[in-house]
Amino acid sequence: MSEDLTFWLSYITNGKHLTWYASFQFTIFAAVLGGTLAVVFGLIGATLKNSRLLPLRLIGTFYSSIVRGVPDVLFFLFFPLAFEQAVEWVIASQVCTPDMLAAQSAAWPPCKEANWFLGTPEYLILASVSLGLVYGAFTTNVIHGALRSVPKGQLEAARAYGMSAGQLLWRVHIRQMWVYALPGLSNVWMLIIKATSLLSLLQIADIVLWADRLGAPNFLPAVGLVHEDWRWRYYLVLFVFYILVTLLSEKVFEAIMRRAGRGILSEVRD
Amino acid sequence: MERFLDELALFAPAVVFNVYFAAASIPLGFVCAIFLALGKASANPLISRLSRGYIYAFRGSPLFIQFFMLYSLALSFNVAVWKPMGLSWFVLHPLFIGPLVLTLNTAAYTAEIFYGALRAVPRGEVEAARAYGMSRVQQFRHVIWPNLIRLAWPAYTNEVVFLFHATAIVYFALPVIGQQKDLMVTAKELFERDYNAFLHFSVAALYFLAVSLVVFFLFGQVYRRLMRHMPAAPGLRFAPKWLR
Repeated sequence: MSEDLTFWLSYITNGKHLTWYASFQFTIFAAVLGGTLAVVFGLIGATLKNSRLLPLRLIGTFYSSIVRGVPDVLFFLFFPLAFEQAVEWVIASQVCTPDMLAAQSAAWPPCKEANWFLGTPEYLILASVSLGLVYGAFTTNVIHGALRSVPKGQLEAARAYGMSAGQLLWRVHIRQMWVYALPGLSNVWMLIIKATSLLSLLQIADIVLWADRLGAPNFLPAVGLVHEDWRWRYYLVLFVFYILVTLLSEKVFEAIMRRAGRGILSEVRD
Repeated sequence: MERFLDELALFAPAVVFNVYFAAASIPLGFVCAIFLALGKASANPLISRLSRGYIYAFRGSPLFIQFFMLYSLALSFNVAVWKPMGLSWFVLHPLFIGPLVLTLNTAAYTAEIFYGALRAVPRGEVEAARAYGMSRVQQFRHVIWPNLIRLAWPAYTNEVVFLFHATAIVYFALPVIGQQKDLMVTAKELFERDYNAFLHFSVAALYFLAVSLVVFFLFGQVYRRLMRHMPAAPGLRFAPKWLR
């Protein structure tokens, strides 16, 4: 029994498993940066949507409705690829000579010198930005709605105090908006957490990729079959991991809402 | 322009797979969701706990992981169960396991919507039904259900559109067999051939957008019919919510 225990302990702490545990940082990083950017893009989008100028308003509305009308995976894949290509195109216009262009046989990049190699850190940042862009469209809607639920009297009072439009927006309107936005933001955060499982599609060795590698039937010539297909066990661990993260986020958001809603409105608290 | 039209034609067979995945899982998910929602509201603590747990687990974890988990689970039973029964080709086929996982997923999300609507059914109407001596089945059939579906329909429309969007990841988790490619796989393959991200992904996005609009239109028609007793029939707009 104790031998079994030592075996399993050493199994789950071997090098590959430690790499798997370390790869959780990618998921957490993407969730946190993606969430932050989503709020930033949401604020920008909502400001655009509330703008007095028609073209800006159109841009804001277009952004929030088109991105929400398209699957998140599509945008998640498209944005990093398109960004990489745009950068390579700019490099190519500076670097490539006609000889180099003639020497290039592949369709892309225009010449070999314009190739921009992306490693895990770059892809991770691009993935977080695209998460931010996709869910920023959702937050745009949340914040837009929240801005409209701030009581009119508060804004009138601020105006009566002689605040300028900018002061009114930043000191009163946006500060009071958070309480109304929190339930929606909590939902978007849950969506972002779930979307972090897609990181492996951008060649990031994240928890999903490692679960696949570790669980695959393991055969060593010296030992024979180490273990058969154990992938479902590893995926079960991830399944439970994500449920626990959701549970934890729910509790945290509940606590924030209770604290932020103090003395403001009763419906936020229950 | 001609290139664009060729591209549209190239994607036309692919959209069939996305529509198939959605169409195969929505009716079953709908039926399962009714039972799950009733289960969650049930007075029996065991049934209530089980339904609650199921709904929480499938709403709280990514669909991507659910695909991987259930597919690898099915694979691990292959040698012992499916192969002797001669069912491998069927059980492990993406066209079977894709809708299966999507059904399990959408059942949980839809059940949560239905549960919310169930709690919003006017209490007085149920009490009136009981006062008339209706049996529980009659109460559900004639009072609770008509109220529930009307309350839930806009949110359910939203869920159907999200489910259709979720079909985009089916073939990232399951093997592609032969020419059975959905929109995302087609877009990715075409991209890997000529690196024209803007064209291929935009066309795929256009298809998703178009089908979403059709879904909103059809479900809006159903909603109009459901609400035909109201003085001013409210319409459904194309506005995917943040809630899922």
